[in-house]
Amino acid sequence: MSTYVYGITASTHPALPEGMDGVGTPPRKVRILKEGDLAAVVSDAPEGLRPKRKDLLAHQNVLSEAGAAGCVLPMRFGSVATDDKSVTDVLAERADHYKERLGALDGRVEYNIKANHVEEAVLHHVMAENQQIRALAEANRKAGGGSYEAKIQLGEMVAAAVQAREAEDARALRSVLEPQAEAVSVGPESTGWLANVSFLVGRDAAEEFLAAVERARAELPHLEVRVNGPLPPYSFVEPGPAEPAGAAAGGGAGTGAG
Amino acid sequence: MTVVPAQQTGGGGGSSGLYDVLELVLDRGLVIDAFVRVSLVGIEILKIDVRVVVASVDTYLRFAEACNRLDLEAGPRKDPGLPDLVGSITESGARGKSKGALSGAAQTISDAFQQARGESEGESRPRTRKSTASRRKEEQE
Repeated sequence: MSTYVYGITASTHPALPEGMDGVGTPPRKVRILKEGDLAAVVSDAPEGLRPKRKDLLAHQNVLSEAGAAGCVLPMRFGSVATDDKSVTDVLAERADHYKERLGALDGRVEYNIKANHVEEAVLHHVMAENQQIRALAEANRKAGGGSYEAKIQLGEMVAAAVQAREAEDARALRSVLEPQAEAVSVGPESTGWLANVSFLVGRDAAEEFLAAVERARAELPHLEVRVNGPLPPYSFVEPGPAEPAGAAAGGGAGTGAG
Repeated sequence: MTVVPAQQTGGGGGSSGLYDVLELVLDRGLVIDAFVRVSLVGIEILKIDVRVVVASVDTYLRFAEACNRLDLEAGPRKDPGLPDLVGSITESGARGKSKGALSGAAQTISDAFQQARGESEGESRPRTRKSTASRRKEEQE
C-alpha cells in the first residue's frame, strides 16, 4: 500500500490532524508517522489519484488544520511514497534540513494576494491619461463605432496602456504590502491577474498585514485585491525562490516557485 | 486556519477564491524526489492555457467596444447606468473565446475546476479548449 504525504512537522506539534478525512473516495484517514524529532502527516494513497477539486481541497484542509496549531511544511499536491517506511527513511535522512526549515517558518503563515483591474475603472484611467486614445475613441463614437481597422487600432492602444498600468499597479501594490512581510514570493504570471504574490507574515503581525491590504484597496480603488490566508507556507518551504521583503520590487513579474 | 479562503472579497466570487488557493496547492509546496507525484496531465493543460498571450484581436475589439460606450464625464463608478453596461461587456468577454486581459483566464480555469468536480475516476478530463469552443458556439446561436 503506497502512502500519500501531506506535510512534515515537528513530532512535538501539539495538535496533529490524526483521523481527519484525507484524499480519495471514500476519504482515507489521516495518520501520523513519527521519526525522531519529526513527524509526517500521511494517509493511504488511493489508487488512481488525480488532481480533482475534492482531493485538492482535502489536501489543503488537512494542511490548514495542521498549520493552525503549529508549523507544518506543506507538500505539493500529489506526493506519494512507496510505503510508510520510505517516508520515515526520508525524514531520518534529511532531518537536519527539515528541522532547519521548520525553525525558520515557525510562527509564520503565508498570505497570497492576487489582484485584477476593475475593467471599467482602469479604462477610465487609461482614457483620462491618454489624449490620443481619447481622441480616437471619440472619432470612433462619432462614426457610429468606427471601422474594423479603427477599432483594432483603438483596442491595441488601450491594451498596451492597460498592460503598462498592470505593471505599475503591481509595483504599487507590493510597495504597500512588503513592509509588513518577512519574505515575498512572486507566483507565475498569467492573464488571470496582474499580481500574484505570496507574503510570509508572522502570526502576530497578521493584523498589521491585513490593515495594509485595506490601505492598498483604498489607495488603488481600480484594483480588485483578493486575499487568501492564513495558509501553510506553501511558497516558502524551500529557501530558494523567495526573496526577503523589502528587496527591490521587480515589477511583480518573473516566476517564483515553478 | 480551517476556513479557506479565510477572506473573501466582494468582486472575487466563490470559485475564483477557491482557484486562488488551489493554484498554490498544485504549484508550490515541498517536493521530495524520493516520492512519486501523481499525474497532473489535465492540470498542465490548464496551466498552459492560462498563460496565453494577452493581446489578441478579440481583446482589442472588446476594449474598443468598451471605450466607445464609456462615458468619460461620469468618471469611474459614478454613473449608475454604466456599471451594468460595462459589466455585461466584461462578462461576455470572459465567457467567450477571448481570454480577456483582465478576467477571462481566471474564469476559464474556474470553469474547468467545476467540470473536474463532477468527473469520475476513470474518465479522461474534458479538454478546456473544447468546452470553450462549445461555449463560443452557444453564444453565436
